[in-house]
Amino acid sequence: MVARTAGLIAALVLLVLAPGTHARDLKTPQTPWYNLSSEQQRVLAPVASEWDRMPGYQQQRLLGAARRYPDMDPTHQQRFEQRIREWASMTPDQRKAARETFEGLRRLPPEKQYELRERWLRRHPNEGRYPR
Amino acid sequence: MNEKEFAHRLKPWLDRSAADVGELQATRLKAARLRALEAAQEPVRLLGLVTVSAGTARTLRYSVVQPTLLWLPLAALLAALAFQSLRAPDPGEIDAQLLTQDLPLNAYLDRDFRAWLHEPQG
Repeated sequence: MVARTAGLIAALVLLVLAPGTHARDLKTPQTPWYNLSSEQQRVLAPVASEWDRMPGYQQQRLLGAARRYPDMDPTHQQRFEQRIREWASMTPDQRKAARETFEGLRRLPPEKQYELRERWLRRHPNEGRYPR
Repeated sequence: MNEKEFAHRLKPWLDRSAADVGELQATRLKAARLRALEAAQEPVRLLGLVTVSAGTARTLRYSVVQPTLLWLPLAALLAALAFQSLRAPDPGEIDAQLLTQDLPLNAYLDRDFRAWLHEPQG
């Protein structure tokens, strides 16, 4: 009896842990543009025309990022506004790759992060179109 | 007279007496026998730390160990979920940071830049 109940609980554990992020992503329902608050619509205005074509998980990620907008300093807000359209136009694989690179960079010691940033910016002087 | 011969001679007397034992006495004798058997069992050493009687060890097994084993998978599930939520950073947070870093988005897609991340650190 005890072994059977323990087995059932173990099966439940596996069942809960089994679905991957990808499966959960695909199940995320879409949020229509008209359901966004006026503040969310204002922040996400650069991607308004594409919004209703975006999958639900991408909308949620953008909403999550937009939620932080009011707390950003003016420089960060400006960068956010300039990059969000480019970000939304990237393919899911490109966004995933960018997140992975970003997280890889964050795992490095601060001085190494600084060195790599500077090295990249020196190599791409024309990329200085964002406020620094 | 050795032990075996003594038992052999004693058995008829015990059998005769057993036939005269009433129900109440039989129950008491049975309980006494169980107590005696329990007391005669070897004490058990738990985790090499404490020695307890076999009865106590059995009680512990049924009242502590088995329920614990039963709830262990559930505890593991909760721990795994907690670990997952701690480990998985909020995607909205990551995206917000990515969109506001001093490096442009192109940098994070640049093959060379990605390769630099794996350079040995001096």
